[in-house]
Amino acid sequence: MKGWREASGSRQSSDSVSSGTPLVIDRNLSSSTIRLGRVQPQAPGHRTVFCNDREANQLAKYKGNSVSTTKYNVATFLPKGLYEQFRRVANLYFLTISCLSFTPVSPVSPITNVIPLSLVLFVSLVKEAFEDWKRLQNDMTINNSSVEVLQDQRWEATPWKKLQVGDIVRVRQDTFFPADLLLLASTNPDGICYTETANLDGETNLKIRKALEKTWDYVTPEKASEFKGEIHCEQPNNSLYTFTGNLLLQKQTIPIGPNQILLRGCSLRNTEYIVGTLIFTGHETKVMMNAMNVPSKRSTLERKLDKVIATLFGVLLCLCLIGAIGSAVFVNNKYHYLMLWVNGDSQQFNPSNRFVVFILSIFTLITLYSPIIPISLYVSIEMIKFIQSTKFINNDLRMYHSETNTPALARTSNLNEELGQVEYIFSDKTGTLTRNLMEFFKCSIAGVTYGSGITEIEMGAARRNGVNVKEVQKPAHTSREKGFNFDDARLMLGSWRNEPNPEMCKEFFRCLAICHTVLPEGEESPEKLRYQAASPDEAALVTAAKNFGFFFYRRTPTMIHVRESHIQKMGTVEDCKYEILNILEFNSTRKRQSVVCRYGDGRLVLYCKGADNVIYERLSSGNDELKKVTREHLEQYGEAGLRTLCLAYKDLNPDMYENWNEKFIQSKSALRDRERKLDEVAELIENDLTLIGCTAIEDKLQEGVPACIETLAKAGIKIWVLTGDKLETAINIAYACKLINNNMKQFVISSETDSIRDVENRGDQVEIAQFISDTVKNELRKCHEEAQAIIHSSSGQKLSLLIDGKCLMYALDPSMRSTLLSLSLSCTSVVCCRVSPLQKAQVTRLVRKGANKITLSIGDGANDVGMIQAAHVGVGISGLEGMQAVMASDFAIAQFRFLTDLLLVHGRWSYLRLCKVVSYFFYKNLTFTLTQFWYTFQTGYSGQRFYDDWFQSLYNVIFTALPVIIVGLLDKDVSALLSKKYPQLYKEGIKNTYFNWKVVGTLACFSVYQSVIVYNFAVASSTTGLTSAGKMLGLWDISSTAFTCLVITVNLRLLMMCNTVTRWHSISVGGSILAWFAFIFIYSIVFVNKGTYFTIYVLMSTAYFYLVTILVPIVALMGDFLYLGIQRWFYPYDYQIVQEIHRHEPESIGAGLLEVGNQLTPEEERRYAFALLPREKSKHTGFAFDSPGYESFFATQQGVTVHQKAWDVIRRASMKPKR
Amino acid sequence: MNSNAPSSTPAAAADLRRNSKRPRYSRFTQQELPACKPILTPKWVISAFMLVTIVFVPIGLASLFAARDVVEIVDRYDAECAPLGSRSDRVRYIQSAADKTCNRTLSVPKHMKRPIYVYYQLDNFYQNHRRYVKSRSDEQLRSPSNEDDTTPCKPEDDANGRSIVPCGLVAWSMFNDTYSFFTNNSQQLPLNKRGISWKSDRDHKFGKDVFPKNFQNGTLIGGASLNESIPLSEQEDLIVWMRTAALPTFRKLYGKIEVDLEAGDTINVIMQNNYNTYSFNGKKKLVLSTSSWLGGKNNFIGIAYIAVGGLCFLLALTFTIIYLVKPRRLGDPSYLSWNRNPGGGH
Repeated sequence: MKGWREASGSRQSSDSVSSGTPLVIDRNLSSSTIRLGRVQPQAPGHRTVFCNDREANQLAKYKGNSVSTTKYNVATFLPKGLYEQFRRVANLYFLTISCLSFTPVSPVSPITNVIPLSLVLFVSLVKEAFEDWKRLQNDMTINNSSVEVLQDQRWEATPWKKLQVGDIVRVRQDTFFPADLLLLASTNPDGICYTETANLDGETNLKIRKALEKTWDYVTPEKASEFKGEIHCEQPNNSLYTFTGNLLLQKQTIPIGPNQILLRGCSLRNTEYIVGTLIFTGHETKVMMNAMNVPSKRSTLERKLDKVIATLFGVLLCLCLIGAIGSAVFVNNKYHYLMLWVNGDSQQFNPSNRFVVFILSIFTLITLYSPIIPISLYVSIEMIKFIQSTKFINNDLRMYHSETNTPALARTSNLNEELGQVEYIFSDKTGTLTRNLMEFFKCSIAGVTYGSGITEIEMGAARRNGVNVKEVQKPAHTSREKGFNFDDARLMLGSWRNEPNPEMCKEFFRCLAICHTVLPEGEESPEKLRYQAASPDEAALVTAAKNFGFFFYRRTPTMIHVRESHIQKMGTVEDCKYEILNILEFNSTRKRQSVVCRYGDGRLVLYCKGADNVIYERLSSGNDELKKVTREHLEQYGEAGLRTLCLAYKDLNPDMYENWNEKFIQSKSALRDRERKLDEVAELIENDLTLIGCTAIEDKLQEGVPACIETLAKAGIKIWVLTGDKLETAINIAYACKLINNNMKQFVISSETDSIRDVENRGDQVEIAQFISDTVKNELRKCHEEAQAIIHSSSGQKLSLLIDGKCLMYALDPSMRSTLLSLSLSCTSVVCCRVSPLQKAQVTRLVRKGANKITLSIGDGANDVGMIQAAHVGVGISGLEGMQAVMASDFAIAQFRFLTDLLLVHGRWSYLRLCKVVSYFFYKNLTFTLTQFWYTFQTGYSGQRFYDDWFQSLYNVIFTALPVIIVGLLDKDVSALLSKKYPQLYKEGIKNTYFNWKVVGTLACFSVYQSVIVYNFAVASSTTGLTSAGKMLGLWDISSTAFTCLVITVNLRLLMMCNTVTRWHSISVGGSILAWFAFIFIYSIVFVNKGTYFTIYVLMSTAYFYLVTILVPIVALMGDFLYLGIQRWFYPYDYQIVQEIHRHEPESIGAGLLEVGNQLTPEEERRYAFALLPREKSKHTGFAFDSPGYESFFATQQGVTVHQKAWDVIRRASMKPKR
Repeated sequence: MNSNAPSSTPAAAADLRRNSKRPRYSRFTQQELPACKPILTPKWVISAFMLVTIVFVPIGLASLFAARDVVEIVDRYDAECAPLGSRSDRVRYIQSAADKTCNRTLSVPKHMKRPIYVYYQLDNFYQNHRRYVKSRSDEQLRSPSNEDDTTPCKPEDDANGRSIVPCGLVAWSMFNDTYSFFTNNSQQLPLNKRGISWKSDRDHKFGKDVFPKNFQNGTLIGGASLNESIPLSEQEDLIVWMRTAALPTFRKLYGKIEVDLEAGDTINVIMQNNYNTYSFNGKKKLVLSTSSWLGGKNNFIGIAYIAVGGLCFLLALTFTIIYLVKPRRLGDPSYLSWNRNPGGGH
């Protein structure tokens, strides 16, 4: 209570919460709550909800339950949309230019600028409208999903949007809560219901919510309609894990805590239905309060583009300055025929006021040269990206996951090319790399290995050796249970009795069935019973025992009940009871767990399971052969990425046991140093063990993860794993994913050291902070020095860093940040464990800001939202129920392995294409403007335009628009398959090879060259009469010729940039040139008043025109051609080599998308693949113990309060013992 | 918040298939459109250059020959036809009412086949100045109803409050030197001044029923005056003049001499040197030129073609040599950057 008070300030002072009422949250929770974003300060006061009384609630004017995420509505669309558009500097620039072009200083008519601008705006607005429309539809589906509301003593299906605060609703199993509810009653006994909060925090285990005892009965509609409560509670806020309020029921005040609150976005599990009353609705629900406005991200390329645009603007100003100076110098009354200044006329050319001439000329020339900044660039890029994301990424069959029926989804189209430049990937572990599914996979009993599965990692190894292995489809009849993926007839259905060592097998199974801390739940039959385990590992082991015929079905404080089959003979079933005398808990130093139990016949046994090294230390001497063989098996399992545990047992002498038990009880009741004393006592009995064997659990990786990671690593991408799991688990997975191997130098910075624990036990917060801070600082410095030494030693050893959340907290301190950054950047892989969502985001930001590298975060849960938003590109794992991460992400894919396609194929192509598009735009507009610039020198710097208005305005939007979009969509250097086969090609994106100042500079040089050629050739060849009729060409005739040459040149130049030429390329390039001719043919007969009247017909009757239009493009492009030829031959890009290597291969159509038949049966294939595996041994053997909240769980069982860890709180909810 | 939670009942499986979100295959969305993938190999580069050479050199030669056949006589007369002295003297002279007749003698170097085009060429005359180019009213020129449409013509839009037809600086500053040609036996060479302007201009841009009005009635006289009884569409000198030139040095067609001239002939030109180019040091030239299929005497196109053809030949040669000296096997994996410096890339 005290803690809550402090956290929420004086808000409650006037509240009616009766002080002294114990609230469930303790201080630890409120101070270390996992937050999504920033917890907003709460408005003062509280809200009062009258349950089941719409009229009473009406007064308070609570918001409805409909949710709207659209940006615009009909009325605001135009003003707001236009405002958004003009927030772009480029659009604002063109607006200014358009305004300028209405003034007399303008050499061009307003249409020149207004038409392209309005076209651009129109296209952008249409796109905005379309996107908003989709959002609206999405909102509508959500708002219209239905829920049952209590009306006139009946449950009426009502859409979500009609719900109001105070309504009583009934939510059925597996559906979502429509708003934040107060749980009143549930069909489960004791008013308990289970909720899944994956949407909110990514946790997949169920949480228990418990209704207040007073309200348990309101299950039926009749009863529920009698419910007239009054709820006083806090104002809406975004803190997911806190809630304070009171329920006034029958003149009684009952406190409500988070335990009674069901949040929107969660779903109901294992409960038929619940009845609840709405407290917060619509935008006031906690999940919506957390949905912050996703900051729109802009890609790095676009930001670089801004710089180029700014440079162009600088160039523009220079050109204007040159022209304006020229103009000021030129004006002179000697040109009497120009009448440069007469009374009352504009000052623009007044020779006696040259400064004004200068100033006005600048404006004139800016208007004239304005096309140097490509107006249609942004809209073209937008269109290209939009099609890329909606048509290519969303429709890619390679990224479609058929099991979850999920295609990839690009939620934003801004970042396509950013995908081609990612250098750092931050990945969540659970649900992203792994399936959060522990499966009993293999085991070794008495020196014999059982189990025939092949792990992902082995498959990856096989693939590397050129063997194609497919996931073996299990025959349909072997129904597989979750947590049990074991297939070996030698052990199943009692066949183990025929094995060489059946006694050992029995011990093995009993150890599995007895030595654990799992709680059974539900009906006591093998099919219906569920195991509630602290960690999925444990559940998997117990499930395995069940499948071997040792069905653990009931636990009492002192007993374990196991239904054993096939013990005496096949097919017999026998219920056995084992008395549990002691449990020696697991903790991270002991790395083992023991149970002392007494058989029905009085046999006293200690069963122990734990990490291989701790077990091996405690084995009795002798039987070295078994140890050696088991060790080998352990190593094999480790190599295959499995999590192993050794099992051992020991028969106890009753006297000796009694003796020991006394000491145990003593230390258990010790007031100081209890944990250490318990550990010491445990040491006394956990020795002289007999090895039974070992188990191998597969922390089931998502399909294809190791291969994907390997590919990404080859592509020069560094992968960091940020996980809330424990260090050991994280390391295990890192090994399994091939992120870490034994050749790497590993730096481990962990807070789980004895010295830190000592200080922590003393409990002085200041001292703890100081001590850890110093330790971390020293460690960091040490590691950093070592890392530098290794890097400079040219041994080529790769580095990896493992750090836990607590240390990270200190390491992220500004004083240490730079060391941390430089250390972690020199590591090829980094694993951060035990990190909070906030820290995930911090680490991401550290690399993003500190190292200025392009980052990608991928995750599936709400705990990843922060990092997804912090990274340049956020990727959410979709297809499962958690939506929070997807909602915050920029791209959603169903599987981690799709990253290869997303990055190496789509990202790389996008980057390549966008670079081409951008540089081409830059080039074509510069060339165009420069021809205009050269002409300025010949016109007395007056700013006379060279081209007709319409030529200029349509140049960008018609004559050169389409081909570049086609290239932006269709160009590809190498096929998708080759992109993945040569991941190294991706590095060019990371290095930004295709769009840097060198590229821009080269293009600019060619641009200057081409404009000089186009302008001068057109002009120089027209000095004399050009027809056999001796007539001369005028300004507009020559400019039409030049423009024709220019259009042909820039269009052909695009064709030269293409790697592939499809029909569409030729059509669009040819079409653009033809469009110009079609335009000029029509234009020059329709507009009689224009200088261009009839021009083209006259021109086309001269030989000059044809000779020039052949000559100029070829001369202009000769430079580029030569450059490309030399570049390709002497300094080839990697992709060009790859193209050459595969030049004779026809592109496979539908490759990988159509199933290819195979002659081998899956079984044969698998065996073959297995035989080919290299038999190397790993020095690393992972051990399977992932039990957050483990210690405190057992402590509470035994009535001891243990200092709670922040991360325990939520998980603990799932295993709270029934009282 | 997705409402269709995956269902596992077999009944729903068929339903699921119907609701499958599997994208449909199309070559476009899978980015597998058929395409040709040109690779710019040296062979291609060399052949391209050779092709250009082969095509360009003949065209260039043909153009050069065409230009060589053209006979052109250029005579600058602005200096000789004015009194020697400073610029201000000449300006005063040209603005005075004195007789400005001037005699020039031209000799024909080669046989000139008719028609022989007579051009005047002005230099340093900015017909393309922004102020000048826009100072005209095309509406007015076309139709008498638009007579008062003189807004763009400022400052030459009206004289004494009445609209000028044709208005604007362009028309106002019309060239007004005149030439007449005589053979050495004082026989006048007929000069055809019909059909010197563009037909499209005559027919559509200048009205048949638009007659000059108030032209050159202002305080300042810019140049030629027009016969008010002849419609604009027949004032060919005006039409030619008003097709503004692109560059400050330009030629305009004055007329055609429709007899052959023999080599060694001399031609006397009697001209009225009226037009003031002295104030801005503009040159005036009289040009007599024959014409070929390519137009007048301009070597540029021919030279350019030959030069480009030659250059391409050299480039092709260089490339061939380099190709032979330092060959690179096509698609050699050792050129891949990660094979060149293994482990590099940092």
